[in-house]
Amino acid sequence: MKTHWLKLVLATVVATAAMLFTQTSFAQPASKGKIAVVVSTLNNPWFVVLGETAKARAIELGYEATIFDSQNDTAKEASHFENLIAGGYKAVLFNPTDANGSIANVMKAKAAGVPVFCIDREINSTNAATAQMLSDSYSGCVKLGQYFVKTVGKEGEYAELLGIVGDNNTWNRSKGFHSVVDRYPGLKMVAQQSGEFDRAKGLEVMESILQAHPNIKAVFCGNDAMALGAYQALVTAGKADAVKVFGFDGADDAVKLIAEGKMTATGMQFPKLMARQSAEYADEYIKGKRDFPQKIPVPVELVTKDNVGKYGDYGKK
Amino acid sequence: MRAVRWLIAFLVVAGVFWRFPLFHIVPLKQATAEKVAATFNAVQFADAFWTDQLPPSLDKAVKVEVLLPAIQADRAAARKKYARSIGLGESYFYFVSGSGRVLSASDDEVSLAVTEGGTNAEVVLEAGLIFGNTLRDGTGLLSASDYPNSQDFNDISAELNHIVETRVLPKLHEQAKVGAKISFAGCAEVADEASDLSPLKVVPIRAEVQ
Repeated sequence: MKTHWLKLVLATVVATAAMLFTQTSFAQPASKGKIAVVVSTLNNPWFVVLGETAKARAIELGYEATIFDSQNDTAKEASHFENLIAGGYKAVLFNPTDANGSIANVMKAKAAGVPVFCIDREINSTNAATAQMLSDSYSGCVKLGQYFVKTVGKEGEYAELLGIVGDNNTWNRSKGFHSVVDRYPGLKMVAQQSGEFDRAKGLEVMESILQAHPNIKAVFCGNDAMALGAYQALVTAGKADAVKVFGFDGADDAVKLIAEGKMTATGMQFPKLMARQSAEYADEYIKGKRDFPQKIPVPVELVTKDNVGKYGDYGKK
Repeated sequence: MRAVRWLIAFLVVAGVFWRFPLFHIVPLKQATAEKVAATFNAVQFADAFWTDQLPPSLDKAVKVEVLLPAIQADRAAARKKYARSIGLGESYFYFVSGSGRVLSASDDEVSLAVTEGGTNAEVVLEAGLIFGNTLRDGTGLLSASDYPNSQDFNDISAELNHIVETRVLPKLHEQAKVGAKISFAGCAEVADEASDLSPLKVVPIRAEVQ
């Protein structure tokens, strides 16, 4: 009797194990290879969304995907590229740290036969990356500049927080904004400092600007992280109602502040759209496609209190 | 004997360095000149584009009397047939030419009726400050992929807009009297399918009284 029970238990265990093995085999088909997602920094929620979306789409397409954080350091980025080339990755979805400094890394990957697809930030080369999906920062900031003049007026002092000085997006945004605002001589920029695209740095820089220039009517920030830092500084200084804050990115926190009437506007980039598309391009490349446009602009949309309901979750609802 | 060996070794090393120098000495003036030459000159580029490349392409612009009825009949079909899209967004451009009668003129715009006897503004020529990339991207003659640094590409926009403001608009303001017939060519940007295209807003490349 005892032996009979023992046989029954053993048979059940074997059958269950066989079922589990079969299910696992069906649920996880063999991977198509590895895709690397190299992101400039994960210290900003916007880039976390960019990286995570690229990774998720690569996994959906049947690849193993890993995120590498360059921490805004080209040396760390170079080391990631060495590792991923040696590690047999089939493609890189790349958010560069420096338009010039990152070219060598992309060239190294290219020499090793690994295609690189730049997302959001560009490199100053048209023969290194396979394709580059870039937010049209200039155009987006032209729209922000026009809205700035409309809401702030044609006269008054304002400040600007720049992003990372070596990044093209910093200057494309600043130039787009100034291509409009500089046409109105009554609008005077009394301070222009780098907040390095960082929230804490944005707060710190804004605090010092407010001490030197207490009468500013507005601040234009090259990204939403700095805008959120600047807003925090304004709240602490009791000036949140007196100074209009303009950002760029379309970060969820910024969109919420616009809906609450605490921030004036931002430019909605579409990180999820760019990230997903980069993974799809990598998949197409691996399957044999080669003719990709080098630079693919992604328009930026102006988000204000009038249309904020249409936006959220890093894109259009 | 030892001295000869040293001499030979010295000559060999000197020869190698002469053939493959570790550094070059360049006069500062020459280095600066080379740097300036390597820098993209958006002013020169935009001027050459405006003078040489743009005029022959104006014939390729879709006629306004063809485009407007096409948009009215089927907006999506008109877009497919006549518009130019770039990148991944919803916006697109029309490169359009034609003529119309001035209904009104202000510092910022000139409204035209294109249909014979029409009283509604069907086309508005932008005539104030010109911003953005409508002109650069609307003709289809320039592509971001040709420019390693997008700052150069964006500088072209600023210069083209400046050319419109200084070479096209002063004459337009002078000639755009109510009732005058204006012949024009230019680019229109459509932000998305919800945009109101009545009237169609055009950044003029050419605008003159017929």
